[in-house]
Amino acid sequence: MDVITTEGLTKYYGSTRGVEDLTMTVPEGSVYGFLGPNGAGKTTTIRCLLGMLKPTRGTAQLFGTAVNLDGSELRRRIGYVAGEVIMFEKETGRWHMEYVSGMRGAKPSLADELVERFEFDPSKRVRELSKGNKQKLALILGMMHDPELLILDEPTSGLDPLNQEAVYAVIDERVAAGRTVFLSSHILSEVERVCERVGIIRAGRLAAEESVHSLLAKRLRELEVTFAEPVEPAFLASVPGVDKVERIGERTLTARAKGDVIDDVIKRLAEKTVTDVEIELASLEDVFLEFYRAQEGEDPSDDSASDAETPARDDAEGGEVR
Amino acid sequence: MSWTLLRATLHQRRASMFWFSVGLVFYSWLMVWFWPQIGGGQYAEMIENMPPEMLALFGGNDISFASMGGYFQTEYLGLMWMVIVGCAIVMYGVGSLAGDIGKGTMELTLAQPVSRLTVVLTRIAVLVVYVLVLAAATFVPIQVFGPTYDVDLTARTFWLLFALGSLFMLALGGIAMLASSIFRDSGKPAGIAAGLLVMMWILDLVSNVSEAAELFDPVNLVGYWQPGKVINDNVVAAEAWWVYGAVAVVGLIGAVLVFRRRDVA
Repeated sequence: MDVITTEGLTKYYGSTRGVEDLTMTVPEGSVYGFLGPNGAGKTTTIRCLLGMLKPTRGTAQLFGTAVNLDGSELRRRIGYVAGEVIMFEKETGRWHMEYVSGMRGAKPSLADELVERFEFDPSKRVRELSKGNKQKLALILGMMHDPELLILDEPTSGLDPLNQEAVYAVIDERVAAGRTVFLSSHILSEVERVCERVGIIRAGRLAAEESVHSLLAKRLRELEVTFAEPVEPAFLASVPGVDKVERIGERTLTARAKGDVIDDVIKRLAEKTVTDVEIELASLEDVFLEFYRAQEGEDPSDDSASDAETPARDDAEGGEVR
Repeated sequence: MSWTLLRATLHQRRASMFWFSVGLVFYSWLMVWFWPQIGGGQYAEMIENMPPEMLALFGGNDISFASMGGYFQTEYLGLMWMVIVGCAIVMYGVGSLAGDIGKGTMELTLAQPVSRLTVVLTRIAVLVVYVLVLAAATFVPIQVFGPTYDVDLTARTFWLLFALGSLFMLALGGIAMLASSIFRDSGKPAGIAAGLLVMMWILDLVSNVSEAAELFDPVNLVGYWQPGKVINDNVVAAEAWWVYGAVAVVGLIGAVLVFRRRDVA
């Protein structure tokens, strides 16, 4: 069953675009990464899913039921952590936990455990909390009722690496328990760490959707090769899939290899005597940025660019570029 | 209605509710205490010495300022009381919806399984509580402390003042909440609601000396607020109940309808 379904979801604020023609599905029990830079439309999408914003066009469904602006029952099954954490400044963390529990009409089954794991002091007023501690409180409030669907908007913003890891661990556990997670982020390492599938939103539109595995398979590789003798850049640049070849000194070349070309690169290197070689995998972040650049037409030779212009589903990896 | 939301809303407004109430209790007590000092002969003499145009401007044609009702109307209930409860009710009304949306706390509330209808009805329930508390803080001290200072109001007068005052505040609250349901923060709705109240007060003053301004009398909430007549004559014009009731109902229903359909983030 699909937990989240949107069909042509569009939201405009007057003439300003929020999100446009967004069609996507998130299956039950999956961790879906919703990836895009600030202002791409991630939060708008989430607010439409939660019934806080009225879509200009299109539909949004949760658990197979259309989202209703004035509905409340769907939200009983959802835990939400907002991107910008705003709470009642004069009240304590404990007060917020009771406030949320009161409206849910249920005891927060995970509250004590989360308070302990995040090392959070619920007796402090929100105005006394640091940004990171406010984020912890938001996470506790969103997760403490063990909802079927967790919607997390930049959930680790302001957290130190230890607490970030604690959040990832909690997400892993919730998913293992059969819960669904919709994680909006612009931090690619976060998406890489926890998500199975990723939708890339750009300028309000879903630009691509594929599995993280597939995205990682498209990783870029940065090469630095030192030869025993002077060598011209054309030596590497002539390998299909290799570009941005630069020479450092007479005997060292740097280059970027994209896609499944590493075998060709190694075969070409074998034609000369190599004294040193470094092959470094680019991060998902670099892949993402590369993808964006390609979409903006900065590098027409890019593989991603050609994908983007040809709407097609990658059956092997379940990828789709729009 | 959500009890959790009701308790939370009251909890968050407790300080303003407390201080406005304390202020009104003190002011009411001060007014009944002053009545024997400046009421009666001296007060009548001072009023008689005022220019007739000024007396007319402040409604001196309709009520004797030297009477107990005139005293309470000019010195307290006809102006300062309206300013105090106007501030309290407008602040609450505009903060209850637009204020929460502007601050972002509405997102936390509406992320929970609570409908918008429940939220707005709960905020209206708190408005009613607020109005009753302010009415009690105003009129109970007059009734309780009054006999000590020769201010003897009948039970009917007390209840008429209490009911009419409450309905006046509810009407004002209805306007404030309707404005609050439309905007994204509390600045504009506060300006609209407070501006309307000030405009109605000015029109009411001017209508005492200008026939042109009387044109607005049928819809002027301030014009129907005549506590002096209630104290002196034990009567309230039937239209006052209808106009206050209608404005309150239309304002609050309008707030419900708008809030249920609007973007809240």
